[in-house]
Amino acid sequence: MEHKTIQDYLETVAQQMRWKRARPVVIAELKQHLEDQRDTFATEGYENAEQLAVEEMGDPVMVGTELDCIHRPKPQYGLLLFTILFALIGVLLRVWLTASWEPYNMNIDPQRTVLAWMIGVGALLCGYFLDYARLGLYGRMVYVVALVISVGTLMWSPRIMGASYYTRYITLLFPVIYAFWLYTCRRKGWIGLLLALAGGIPLPVICLQAPYLFGLLTLLLTGFVLLVAAAWSDWFGIGRRNTLLFVMFCTIGMVAITFLSVFSSGYASERLNILLHPELEPLGRGYQACMIQEVLGASQWFGEGMREGSQYPFELQVPGCDSDAFLTTLIYKLGWLPFLLLVLLFVLLVVWLLYRCIHQKSQLGKWVVLSVVSTLSMQALCSVTWNLGFTFYDSSFPLIVGNLNMIINMWMIGLALSVFRAENIARDDLRNKIPSLPRYHIKIELQKY
Amino acid sequence: MELDKGLVSGSMALLVMKLLEDGDMYGYQMVEELKKRSDDTFHLKAGSLYPLLHGLEGKGYVSAYEKEATAGKPRRYYHLTKQGHSVLQEKEESWNLYACAVRKVLKGGVCSYGT
Repeated sequence: MEHKTIQDYLETVAQQMRWKRARPVVIAELKQHLEDQRDTFATEGYENAEQLAVEEMGDPVMVGTELDCIHRPKPQYGLLLFTILFALIGVLLRVWLTASWEPYNMNIDPQRTVLAWMIGVGALLCGYFLDYARLGLYGRMVYVVALVISVGTLMWSPRIMGASYYTRYITLLFPVIYAFWLYTCRRKGWIGLLLALAGGIPLPVICLQAPYLFGLLTLLLTGFVLLVAAAWSDWFGIGRRNTLLFVMFCTIGMVAITFLSVFSSGYASERLNILLHPELEPLGRGYQACMIQEVLGASQWFGEGMREGSQYPFELQVPGCDSDAFLTTLIYKLGWLPFLLLVLLFVLLVVWLLYRCIHQKSQLGKWVVLSVVSTLSMQALCSVTWNLGFTFYDSSFPLIVGNLNMIINMWMIGLALSVFRAENIARDDLRNKIPSLPRYHIKIELQKY
Repeated sequence: MELDKGLVSGSMALLVMKLLEDGDMYGYQMVEELKKRSDDTFHLKAGSLYPLLHGLEGKGYVSAYEKEATAGKPRRYYHLTKQGHSVLQEKEESWNLYACAVRKVLKGGVCSYGT
C-alpha cells in the first residue's frame, strides 16, 4: 500500500503496535518529525512535500514492527503475587485467630472476608490495568468526582461513634487524588500554583468533617511532599526558588490553621494526654492503651502469651482486638516473631515501591507511587504504634486488617504497579495528547469524462 | 557510489550517540546533522532512527525530555546519559580497532591504533 499522507503513514505504524497505550506516545514524535520534513521540502519548493516526507521516513510496517518490539508493557507479576499472598495471609490470620470467639459473636465471618479478598484481587488488577496517565489528563474531573462522592458519603453514610463510616475509607484515596489534581496545574505559572494550593483546601475540610484525623494527617504530609517535589522540578514554570518559598509559606499557614482548628476543639489535646499518660484513666479513655500494654507484657516471642489472674477472656478485655488492635491479638496469640516477620514483609514491599518510584521518568508516575507509598506507610506506622500501646491515631494495618481497607489498599498498590508497567512510555506532556487517528475515511474522487 | 547498508546500520548507534555527545538534539535535527557532518554520505531514514533511539532509551544510554524548539513547537530532545558516555567510549574504541584491522588487511599497511 502506498502512503501519500502523513495520516495514512502514522495509522499504518500504529496498526503494527499491539500495546495501545504506547501508540499515541510514539505517533506524536513521528508526526513531529514528518511535519518538520514536509515543511523543509515545501520551503525547498517541492509541490508534493507531504508525499516526499512520507517516502523519506521508510517502510511504516517495518518501523511499526520494530517499535512494537521495543514498546511492550513491563509485567509486574512478582509484586502482584506478593500483594495477593500478603492479603491472603491477612485473611487467614483474621479468620483463624478469631475463630474461637464465636460464643461472643466476635469471630470474623470467613465467607465475607474471602469475598472481600476476591474483590480486593479484582481491585488490584483493575488498578494495574488502569491507564494512570489518562487519569492524569482528566485530573480535574477525577478530583471533582472524588469531592462529590466524599460529600455524598458525608451526608448519607452511617455514622459510627460520630464518624462517617465510608468517608473514612475514601479519605485514604485523597493523596492520590491530589497528585492527579497537581498534575493538571503544569506550566500555568502563578495561577497554576494557586490552583494547586486551592485544590488542597476542600480535601482537608472533608477529613475534618468526617472527622478522621488520620486521613487529615496523611493528606497534609503527602500533599506537602508532592508540592515540594513539584516546586523542585519547577512544575508551574515560575522558578524553583519562587515556588519553594511560596509553598513553604502557604504550608506553614495551612498547618497552623489546621492545628488550631483540631486542637481548639480539645479533642486532639485529650487524645494526646491519653497517649502520653493512659494510666491516668485506666478504666476510662486510657483503658484500651492500658489493656494493650498489659497484653503485650504477657506475650512471648513465639506462641500464645500467658496472662495471669485475669478472669475474662482476651477478646472481651481488649477493645478492637478484631479490628484496629488486631496486631495486638496477633502478638498475644502467635508471639512477637510472627508480628515482626509480618511487619518486615510489609516494609520490604514499601521500600521496593519507593526504590522503583525514585527511578520513574514521569513526574505523574512518581507522584502517584509516592502518594500510594505515603498512605500505606502512614497506615502501617499508626497501626503499629497503636498496637504497641500508643493510642493516638487509629488505623488498620494495610492488607492485613479490615475488608474495605484491604480492597482500597489493593487498588492503590495496583495503581502504583500500573506506573511501573508503563514506565518505558512514561511522558509528562499534556499538549501532545493522543493524535487523532480516525477509524474511518471518506474518500471522494472526482473524475473528468 | 552507493554505500553498503550493512556497513551503516551496524554503526548507527555509535553515530547517533556521538552526535548527542556534543549536545542534546531531537530526531529531525539528528538526521540533518548526520547528513551535514558526513558530507551527505549518511542518509539516515527517520524510520530507522526512532526505533534505535527508543531502544537506546530503554537501555538507559540516552534520556529524553520535552522542550520547545526554536520555532516554538514542542520537541522531544535526547540526552546522552553518563552510562551512555561510557558505552560510547567503548564503542568508539572497538570501532577504531575494527577499522584499523580492515585498513591493515585492505592496504597491507601497519596500523598504529592501540599500540
